[in-house]
Amino acid sequence: MDDLVYTIAFYILAAITIASAIGVVTKHNLVHSALLMALCFIGISGLYVLLQADFLAAVQILVYSGAVAILIVLGIMLTQRRSMENTNPNSGWPRGAAVVCALLFVVILIVIAATPWHYSSSMAAQDTPSVLARLLFTDYMVAFEAAAVLLLAAMMGAIVLAKGGEEK
Amino acid sequence: MNITLLTSEIAIICLSLLIIILDLLLPRFETRRSLGYLAAAGVAGVFAYTCTQYGVSATVYQGLFTLDSFALFFKQIFLLAILLTLLFSFDYVEGLAKYQGEFYALLLLAVAGMMIMASANDLLTVFIGTELMTVTFYILVGYQFNSSKSSEAGMKYMILGSVSSAVLLYGVSWVYGCTGSIVFEQIAKHANTSLGMLFGFGLIVAGLFFKMALIPFHMWAPEIYEGAPTPITAMLSMGSKVAGLAVLLRMVFIAFVPMQAYWGGIVSIIAAITMIGGTVIAMWQTNIKRMMAYSSITQAGYMIVGLLSADASGIKSVLFYAMLYMFANVGVFATIIAVKKHHGSNEIKDFSGLAQQSPLLAVVMTVSLLSMAGIPPMAGFAGKLYVFSTVIEKGYLWLGLLGFVMSMISVYYYLNVTKVIYMNEPCVQKEFIVSQPLRIAALISLLATLWIGIYPGPLAELANTAARSLSIL
Amino acid sequence: MISLVHYLTVAAILFIIGVYGVLTKRNIVTILMSIELMLNAVNINLVAFSRFIQPEVLTGQVFSIFTITVAASEVAVGLALLFRVYHDYDTVHIDKLNRMRW
Repeated sequence: MDDLVYTIAFYILAAITIASAIGVVTKHNLVHSALLMALCFIGISGLYVLLQADFLAAVQILVYSGAVAILIVLGIMLTQRRSMENTNPNSGWPRGAAVVCALLFVVILIVIAATPWHYSSSMAAQDTPSVLARLLFTDYMVAFEAAAVLLLAAMMGAIVLAKGGEEK
Repeated sequence: MNITLLTSEIAIICLSLLIIILDLLLPRFETRRSLGYLAAAGVAGVFAYTCTQYGVSATVYQGLFTLDSFALFFKQIFLLAILLTLLFSFDYVEGLAKYQGEFYALLLLAVAGMMIMASANDLLTVFIGTELMTVTFYILVGYQFNSSKSSEAGMKYMILGSVSSAVLLYGVSWVYGCTGSIVFEQIAKHANTSLGMLFGFGLIVAGLFFKMALIPFHMWAPEIYEGAPTPITAMLSMGSKVAGLAVLLRMVFIAFVPMQAYWGGIVSIIAAITMIGGTVIAMWQTNIKRMMAYSSITQAGYMIVGLLSADASGIKSVLFYAMLYMFANVGVFATIIAVKKHHGSNEIKDFSGLAQQSPLLAVVMTVSLLSMAGIPPMAGFAGKLYVFSTVIEKGYLWLGLLGFVMSMISVYYYLNVTKVIYMNEPCVQKEFIVSQPLRIAALISLLATLWIGIYPGPLAELANTAARSLSIL
Repeated sequence: MISLVHYLTVAAILFIIGVYGVLTKRNIVTILMSIELMLNAVNINLVAFSRFIQPEVLTGQVFSIFTITVAASEVAVGLALLFRVYHDYDTVHIDKLNRMRW
């Protein structure tokens, strides 16, 4: 019974994720794309819940659906003055790109099918936040600090670029 | 646990933070040249400190961050590159409308990213180091606020760079899935040649080749080199490329040892088309920065050749080449900045009569270009000799010959610039100003290039020590 | 029963959609969104591997936290650059950015 619920939940969430992702790249209205992207992120966070990554699911919603989606919408609002109709056009060769992507997809599917996976039978870690925190502040300390510096650089850069561009 | 291994990175980041704070304290309209001097002095201090660290071989944080002579050698390349770049770009930065202090701070953060890349011993630290470097470069490429080319270049670099990061990460996820680890030694222990592993490895290498701008992953380089502020172009061609090389070397020779069977064929082909393509396209360029972009693509092709001989002598030749490539680049870009200041543009014809206006810079430019072309007695000759003799020993005679032919062809377009410098009359008659720091940087590059060319021994010895410290060999 | 392969397939589809978006879209904002889709595909991969290959060590999850961090900073810088481009070119279409030849 649990299995059945899990399976149904997976397919529903996967369908939401993929359908909204397709919407992001096919909708002609940029705002629709951005909203679908937020939906896609929520679907992905549902998948994380199924994968027992509860902390990550929360981070996904907070950072992606919250911050990133809002940033993108802000970007749209500040750069799009005319009507939103047809703000998301294709370039010259969508068919060719589709063929390339289909080929790439087939390659990835073959790789997925052909690789032998060594499943582990042990239980998933409970209480993920504390395990993650321990990893972040012990083993991955350098990466953690470097990421902090990266955020500082990005913040500084974003301010400098946006301000320098406007008050010329 | 020994945090002191991280001293040089921490020092660079603290220096950058100090500059940010001082920038706020300085009066608004005062020049930020003092901050530039502070940055240069700090970097020189850190460089002196790294010299004392040779011979150390230790790891910190469960082996995720390692400091050995190999990492140190690369760190010294980055520190020298940034030091000399700072020296020749004070005037350039002063010409920026505003945010000069932040410019220095961001430049230092990019270098911190490169240094982390050189020491990283797991895919996560590699990734964060790479991103720290590239995200900072996205900003710096778009830093020239009065030029639309600069914002265009920044945007394009940002898009292509993010896509390449995503591809690299997708590869990382596959490697993690196939080996269950992201630490290099663990990956080597669990490495298999399953399809997923090969796929992941291929994507990671493609991502790194993008950072190094090897053909066919080079599309971004010419435009971004042209649009970026010149000091950033210099740092892109020295830092980004060499840092990618550092990661690639450590990864291939520690983590992906079983993959080397698949490695030779692909890398030799990529090296070949990179050398041919870069050389041929460079001949048609009229903009010096674009020409340098293609030239640096070719140079990266030469460096990658050394990877084919998977032993200490091959790595040694690559390290040696990376160092002399850095010095030659400094000479060229210092001259480009001086000429740009004089003429306001970067066309090759602007170099007309440089020999009369500034004999020193004319000599520096000539020596640096000839070093890149591999003419004795310049350093480039010794470098190419090391690189190609090691691969010929490994049976890649055709690649050695190809490299030789391409070097000969590249002499043509390098000499073309030299011809403009010496044969043509100056087109603008006004005083040619060379600032003192720029003169020093150019002089250091000139002396280093000649000295390495005539006495390659000491540097080769150092490179050898560094190569041997890559423990697996 | 849902296994690793299912998750990998979802991630692969998402990644390909992202690649398609990057290749075909002209609006830079959509290209940024497509890049986000690619990075999310990577995250699904990492978390799924973490769950099925190594459930007791959360390396994959740690990695995805860093990916999310980096993605956020890339978007911030990307949008700042977008404003500059919009200011200079009065457009956000990538094919109009052609003051330098390719």
